Amino acid sequence: MGRTVLERLDRLPRRDLTVLALKGLSTLVPGGWTNITNADQLIQDVIGDTDPALVARIRARADQLSRARAEGYGRALSLYDAVNRSQHAAGGLRVLANLSAGLPLLKRLADVTPPGDTLQAVDLSLKVGSELLAFTQVNGLPGDSFGDFGAALADYAGEARVRMAALICFDALLPLGDQALQKLDSLLGAANRKDLNRLPAYRQMAGLIPGRSDDAHLSFLRRGVDQWLGWAGGFVGELGLTAQGTVQAVESTLGPWQGRMDQFAAFLDAFTDTYAHTGVQAVARRLVERATAEV
Amino acid sequence: MTRPLRWILGLVVAAGLLLGGALLIPFGDWLPGGTVANVPNQEVVNGTAFNRLFPAPVAGEQLLFSQEKRGFSEARLRRGGELVALLAISDTTTAPEAREKFGSSQNAVAGWPLVEQGSQASALLVGGRFQVKVIGQGDGLDLQARHELLESFDLTALARLRPSLSTVSARKAPATPAPAAIGSAPALAS
Repeated sequence: MGRTVLERLDRLPRRDLTVLALKGLSTLVPGGWTNITNADQLIQDVIGDTDPALVARIRARADQLSRARAEGYGRALSLYDAVNRSQHAAGGLRVLANLSAGLPLLKRLADVTPPGDTLQAVDLSLKVGSELLAFTQVNGLPGDSFGDFGAALADYAGEARVRMAALICFDALLPLGDQALQKLDSLLGAANRKDLNRLPAYRQMAGLIPGRSDDAHLSFLRRGVDQWLGWAGGFVGELGLTAQGTVQAVESTLGPWQGRMDQFAAFLDAFTDTYAHTGVQAVARRLVERATAEV
Repeated sequence: MTRPLRWILGLVVAAGLLLGGALLIPFGDWLPGGTVANVPNQEVVNGTAFNRLFPAPVAGEQLLFSQEKRGFSEARLRRGGELVALLAISDTTTAPEAREKFGSSQNAVAGWPLVEQGSQASALLVGGRFQVKVIGQGDGLDLQARHELLESFDLTALARLRPSLSTVSARKAPATPAPAAIGSAPALAS
């Protein structure tokens, strides 16, 4: 049995590249972001009290809930982990390709690996898709109607604003440019099964995505992205997010970057865990809310 | 079959099983089963049945359902976009120890025992089985406001709820008389 959600929260880094990148990005999002890496602190925040006996009871209940497989909290984390591993692998290859492009002998590597915009778009859709799957694992299908479900999803995204901003900025705007969201649909339309299979995370997630074939999965991802695009478009417009703005915001904590934006995106993909990091925090919060209500 | 061949076959099968097992490790979380406190799902009321019992939001308020599982449903109460409180109904079948705190309860709301947990949470035990809780968020809610919120749940309908194999019949379940005693096995498909 792996670690419980709260144990993983306690083990999140307090200061590393991931945290610094998120800190920098959060300057673009009103309300900011606090890096919660202490389960007891999170519990006190939710219950609004510091009684140690009460906190211990809530924590015990949260651990019990997170060990129950059917409740889905652990499943959501395993999804985030799969996506994170894939992101590292793909990002590492792109960094390697960038480095080796200057060396004559290794030029072949660069020719083999450059991920086109399409591949980048499929990668983003896989992240959005796993976000939807993880949402249903953590929260079930809240409410009695599809409208309730949509409202719950929008509300969740509103709470995890920095998480969503990281997804939009690091995985859409930086590698694909400011028009990323507008281009995304046509890019995905051009994607085929080969592009999908090039992503390591897809092989691990394939069994979890509804549908039995690669084509069915691709169309599921496209529909998921369509749903998400409407919300993300409003978010980008509201906050005025751009690729240039993202670079400047992250430079404020990580230091200056002298290179292309897609190289910056590859660097962030290879060396940070923003998706899994904020994912653990988001799941832990919902889990603690439930445990607090049940003790 | 010759002896070496048998050995080779045996090793191949063993290696195959080992490899298959290793490949499945990341998917351990996705295996079925593993309910809370090992209580079978059929004995727990589905969260869908709780949704219509939440208080109706008044003008200027929004009620957003945020989590729904077996035996649990939670909603967020917002006033003008600001999160004011978490409202939740849970079935204590999977957490019997949660009922103990009501034993020494002195107060009541709508006739059901009431307990304060810390400075922001009020809990009510309805029908000896369902826990209704209001947790103030952000700037918080005072005692009075929390109790008014607890009262505005549909507590009589909640006390009558019984687990059923499908959520549809839970909704149409006819009124049953007095709530069952605490701890007794819930009647299944009577």
